[in-house]
Amino acid sequence: MAGALAERDFVEKLHRAGFQDIEVAHRQPVSIDVLTLYPLFTDELLALMRRLIPEGKQDAVAVAIVVTATRAL
Amino acid sequence: MTAHKDLLYSDDVRLLVGHAYRNVASTRGVVADHLYHSDDLARVPATAVDLALGVADHLSHADIQPGDAILDVGCGAGIDSILAAHRAGPDGKVYALDFLPEMLARTTSAAAEAGLDNIEPVEGEMESIPLPAGSVDLVISNGAINLSPRKARAMAECARVLRPGGKLCVADLTVEQDDLPPEVITHPAAWAG
Repeated sequence: MAGALAERDFVEKLHRAGFQDIEVAHRQPVSIDVLTLYPLFTDELLALMRRLIPEGKQDAVAVAIVVTATRAL
Repeated sequence: MTAHKDLLYSDDVRLLVGHAYRNVASTRGVVADHLYHSDDLARVPATAVDLALGVADHLSHADIQPGDAILDVGCGAGIDSILAAHRAGPDGKVYALDFLPEMLARTTSAAAEAGLDNIEPVEGEMESIPLPAGSVDLVISNGAINLSPRKARAMAECARVLRPGGKLCVADLTVEQDDLPPEVITHPAAWAG
C-alpha cells in the first residue's frame, strides 16, 4: 500500500509507458476489514490504521482497480 | 532529488518485499474466496489458492484467446497463471514471472498438479523482464506492480514485451496518499501489503 499510486498517476504512467485505450474497467473500495484477510498486513499496522484513519474513511482506505490497455502500434 | 531517493531506497524496498513474501503465511484461501468465482477456484490447486494475494479478479476483464502467449507479472504462487493457462489452452503459453525462486517453485508445482504443461516459470524482475520485445499477446498482473519502487520502468517493460496492439490487464491498489497518515505510509509492512 505504501507504494500505491493515485489512480490518475497509475493511468498517466501507463500512458507514458506507451499504452493507449487505457480504461479503468473496475473499481472496488477496500476497507480495513478486507485488509485483515491479507497476512502481509500485520496486526500492528492494522491497529495503527484503525487508530489513525478517521472512522468514516475506514471502509475505503484504498481502491482496487482493474485497468485494461493496448500497447500502441 | 526524487529520482535519487527512489534509486537510493529501491534495493531496500526489494529486500523488504522479498523477505515479506518468502515468509508470508497461508491465507487458507480467504483472499481467493473473496476475489474469485468458485468455479474458477475449483480449477486451481489448493497450494496456489492458499497463497493468493492479489487484489481483484482482473482475468474476468481480460480477453484471453486460445493460443495466446501471456506474461503474468509477479505470479506469486500461481493462481492467475493457472487460470490464464486454462483459458489459453494447450496452444497457448503463460510466462509466470517472479523474482522469488520460492514462489516460482510453488507455481511450477501447482501447474503440475493442475495437469498444465503450458506454464513456463521465469525468474526475474519486472523492471527488467527477461523476455524478447514483442513476444507476448497479453500482460496480466495482480497486485504486483505496486511493489516496485520503479513503476514507470516496470510499465515500460510490460509495453516492450508486448507485441504492437497487444493487451494489458492489471489490477492494483490505488490510494490518495493524502488520505493515509504518514505513520501508515512509512510502516515497513505497508510496502509489502
